[in-house]
Amino acid sequence: MADAYPRSMRESIGRVEATRPERMEVEPQRLSLEERREVLDSFHPDYKEGGKRKLLVGPSRGEFVPHEMADLLEAYPLIDPDQVDLGQVDHEVDVLIIGGGGAGTVAALSAHEAGIPADRILITTKLRHGDSNSMMAQGGIQAADKEHDSPPIHYLDVLGGGHFGNDPQLVRALVNDAPEVIRWHEKLGVMYDKDTDGRMLTIHGGGTSRKRMHSAKDYTGLEIMRVVRDEALSRGIRCLEFCPTVELIRDDQGQVCGAVLWNLETEEYTVVRAKATVLATGGWGRLHIQGFPTSNHYGATADGLVLAYRAGAGLRDLDSVQYHPTGAAFPEQIVGLLITEKVRGMGAQPLNVDGALFVHPLEPRDVESGAFIRECSSPEQGGRGNGVVTPTGMVGIWLDTPMVDIIHGPGTFKRELSAIWRMYARFDIDPATDPVLTYPTLHYQNGGVVIDATGATAVPGLFAGGEVSGGIHGKNRLMGNSLLDFNVFGRRAGIAAAEWARQAKPGRPTLEHAANYAQELQGAGVDRERKAPSVLPEYRGERTLARMVDLI
Amino acid sequence: MNSILYYPGCGVADQARSMETAARGALGALGWEMEEMERWNCCGTVYSLATDDLMRHVGPARILARVQDAGHEHLLTLCSMCYSTLKRSERFLTEERDRLDRVNAFLDDEPDYTGGVRVVHLLELVRDEIGYEAVEEAVQRPLSGLKVSPYYGCTLTRPRAVGVDDPERPRVLEDLLLALGAEPVSSPQGVECCGAYLTASAPEVARRRAGAIARAAARGGADLMVTSCPLCQYNLDTRQGEAPGASAHAVPSLYFTQLLALALGADPAVDEQVIDPRPVLAARGLAVEVKA
Amino acid sequence: MSAEQDMIRIYIMGKAYEVPGGLTIMKAMEYAGYRLVRGVGCRGGFCGACATVFRRAGDYKLYADLACQATAEDEMYIAQIPSVPAERASWVLTELAPEDNPILALYPEVARCVACNTCTRACPQELEVMDYIQAALRGDIPQVAELSFDCVQCGLCAMRCPAEIVHYHVGQLARRIYGAYRAPEAGHLAARVQETARGDFDQELDKLEQMSKDELVELYRKRDVES
Ligand SMILES: Cc1cc2nc3c(=O)[nH]c(=O)nc-3n(C[C@H](O)[C@H](O)[C@H](O)COP(=O)(O)OP(=O)(O)OC[C@H]3O[C@@H](n4cnc5c(N)ncnc54)[C@H](O)[C@@H]3O)c2cc1C
Ligand code: FES
Repeated sequence: MADAYPRSMRESIGRVEATRPERMEVEPQRLSLEERREVLDSFHPDYKEGGKRKLLVGPSRGEFVPHEMADLLEAYPLIDPDQVDLGQVDHEVDVLIIGGGGAGTVAALSAHEAGIPADRILITTKLRHGDSNSMMAQGGIQAADKEHDSPPIHYLDVLGGGHFGNDPQLVRALVNDAPEVIRWHEKLGVMYDKDTDGRMLTIHGGGTSRKRMHSAKDYTGLEIMRVVRDEALSRGIRCLEFCPTVELIRDDQGQVCGAVLWNLETEEYTVVRAKATVLATGGWGRLHIQGFPTSNHYGATADGLVLAYRAGAGLRDLDSVQYHPTGAAFPEQIVGLLITEKVRGMGAQPLNVDGALFVHPLEPRDVESGAFIRECSSPEQGGRGNGVVTPTGMVGIWLDTPMVDIIHGPGTFKRELSAIWRMYARFDIDPATDPVLTYPTLHYQNGGVVIDATGATAVPGLFAGGEVSGGIHGKNRLMGNSLLDFNVFGRRAGIAAAEWARQAKPGRPTLEHAANYAQELQGAGVDRERKAPSVLPEYRGERTLARMVDLI
Repeated sequence: MNSILYYPGCGVADQARSMETAARGALGALGWEMEEMERWNCCGTVYSLATDDLMRHVGPARILARVQDAGHEHLLTLCSMCYSTLKRSERFLTEERDRLDRVNAFLDDEPDYTGGVRVVHLLELVRDEIGYEAVEEAVQRPLSGLKVSPYYGCTLTRPRAVGVDDPERPRVLEDLLLALGAEPVSSPQGVECCGAYLTASAPEVARRRAGAIARAAARGGADLMVTSCPLCQYNLDTRQGEAPGASAHAVPSLYFTQLLALALGADPAVDEQVIDPRPVLAARGLAVEVKA
Repeated sequence: MSAEQDMIRIYIMGKAYEVPGGLTIMKAMEYAGYRLVRGVGCRGGFCGACATVFRRAGDYKLYADLACQATAEDEMYIAQIPSVPAERASWVLTELAPEDNPILALYPEVARCVACNTCTRACPQELEVMDYIQAALRGDIPQVAELSFDCVQCGLCAMRCPAEIVHYHVGQLARRIYGAYRAPEAGHLAARVQETARGDFDQELDKLEQMSKDELVELYRKRDVES
């Protein structure tokens, strides 16, 4: 069989193999807080000049967000408020969930457990139920449930990872509920990795001080998502698929009381009236901020931020974007797809073109990514110019994946990291014997809608949980805390929504907030053509786009 | 140690573990080892009588192909239903070249079956390969005084071309029982059907059949019945036990592997049964324990 | 993508398009001008939304794969399967007893498996699908759970099965029974849940919540890291 790697890359692999015995012997050095700062300031894309701008309108006016995000927040409603007849109600429920990923599904189950009947709950989602970032999580979920660990130790790790910019109450909720969440999963039948006595097999993640990463092979998100979705099905909770929300509905007292959905296939709108609404639309990877590839699912287009913002909810920490250090950089077909941090957790080291280790494998993600970019950037850009160049001109860092089997025994990689193994095997690369090339990929939305510890937003009747919300992770999320986040805050938001629904008295439904927002935009001189939410990214070929006409 | 490749089949692998445990122990005592196939699928259970339904033979053909692929010539079964289905399928496929070719073409990238695998029932192995004399010599706990009624059912001996013995007057179980020191009491019902899969759709039929078989055994003075198939065993035990008024004259039954193991000093792996065989065994000085 | 990439011809639902070589089927369809709504989800091989069947020129075989993972080839005939009609049997985990094995009662069609192995050949994850259905047939729940674990529920197995089995639902049922009832429970987890419910960490967390950033930074610097 022909070598999947071209000669220049193969030669560099030779150097990786040459340095391996020595690297296996020494414990890598961690960076001090000062060194971390320096890497971030000079090489993390967040700190790059000109990547962001101040918001002109809305509750968080004056805050910096990436241009790609600002373009959507400073945009007119997709659907003209005057065209919608809110009197024609298609679904009338107690709790409406927007987003059928992890947070949304957990919220639905929790609202149900809090006493809302299944037929009074409605999940609505953009693609199919479960098509989400949650499904894609590989590495694991954090919870301090071992004897030598504790929620307070976890608390400190979360803060340190987030550069102490987190909301303390949210962090507390996160770490405190974590063991209960895992226990709930266990009872629902999630197959966590355990030893024969039932002890959870846990490892380190970037920035953890205890081994508390629980996993289900490298399909942790898939396994959790499959189970909660199946549970929702078994309880008879309905899900409207291919019906993204394009606007929230508020009543005359300013409470959110439902949403306008848009059927992606029939292109008609649908009106849902609800006593309480949970926003669980996930993240923003598909905005391709600063042109980065992304690990995220197709529907990760920041819609929820747009909807909530227009309805009056504040946003926070959107100036910080999470780039995962190890996105695939070769072969071309899989560029941007994730190689879970668990691979580094199990011992694989990041190496430059000479096979040299240039950073501790498990620094917090932003630091790790910054260090990768520094290693790959040319000296003219202030970098070190030590990246590995692919035939298509991508530059990357080796991840020395064969170390996993050397450390844990032959067959471990294929067994415990089967998703990654399979992804490369398709291209005749065996990560158990050859290293794989990586480069940071746009991975996570650190910030989001401001919530309190119950999952309530500033807008009455609107709750949020999961990646769409902000504050939990401060300026940088650690691996394993967002699977946890969607469970903890999905659950809290579901319960709070159920409680709200019991006493809510929605008034007259309107879309006035959207109309008012449009006026504000006009006042600020924003181009009328700009519309949001974006719903789906645009990947059609240029030729098609250039010739497209709307005829029939 | 002699070794033979072994096909458990679904019934043995699920409900009838005891049949296998006992067989392993007994064979061990006779210097034989059962080596389970690495991967196997269901034999098809009920042999299809439709001659143009080749799809039904894909499962058995794959099993046979894997035996061949692993470099073996013989395949051992315990369950007489699996035995019959596999053996008949082997014959059917190799009878006409065209059938084999089509099934192999369907199997596609899997190994081909080219013919020649001999499916062997454990009763045959004991009779033809090991020999009753060797069995007799190995007996440690003779089943003296134990009156056992052999139950053959249908698939062990029929059709004649693949059966392990004469379908009307079989004696393979009788001979084995003699070698173990037991007293065989043949019954006219020993070669009649137990109700088989009617146990699922019409359990009353299986109950009736099991009752008739047990009564015939009892009339001959049997303490026990002995079977070679998990389905027969289920009907003779569970269905017999369910029949109204069954308990008064109920006759327990065991797998032949269990009696073999008992006599050879291996674990007979007697499970909880609906009709407990332990009292009659104990009465003949053959007390056994049931594992919790 | 390099500029001078070779173009290939693919047939999307029978219609020919020229696209650059080396793209996944999904990206090739987008290049050709399709804005995907169905048949796309995670784009990373995890969600099973992009089930696709195809033939190659001069080859009778019908192949099945994930459009987001498989590379488009010259002269490939492609059709997507945007949805798989299949009913999940009605069952509730908490209503099952730990030792129950309801597979055949809930999915009696499993017994129709003739071991043709077509499901296995259709699986883009290269799972031993037929083997786990066979394991289901004989009630071996741990085996079903293990062999089906990497399933992304794309449904290609179910679409190809001549016995009309819905394999991925069977796998889901077995995995949940296994996870909830057959796998040993984590004792340390149950203990920790009791502690948090009792509020054992509340005081410590109160303290942390009140601390200034400087104090926290100091604590963080001094924390010990498990090796
Ligand atoms: C490749 C990858 C690997 C990861 N690995 C890990 C890991 O190992 N550990 C960890 O803790 N975290 C990991 N994460 C992060 C984690 O998976 C996510 O942050 C988390 O699952 C988000 O959950 P969510 O429910 O908030 O959002 P999602 O799961 O993304 O769900 C949002 C849902 O909302 C839908 N939606 C979007 N817009 C609309 C709209 N307008 N109307 C209706 N519905 C809409 C989406 O289609 C989607 O179904 C990973 C993420 C990715 C992408
Ligand atoms: S889009 Fe999710 S598996 Fe292909």
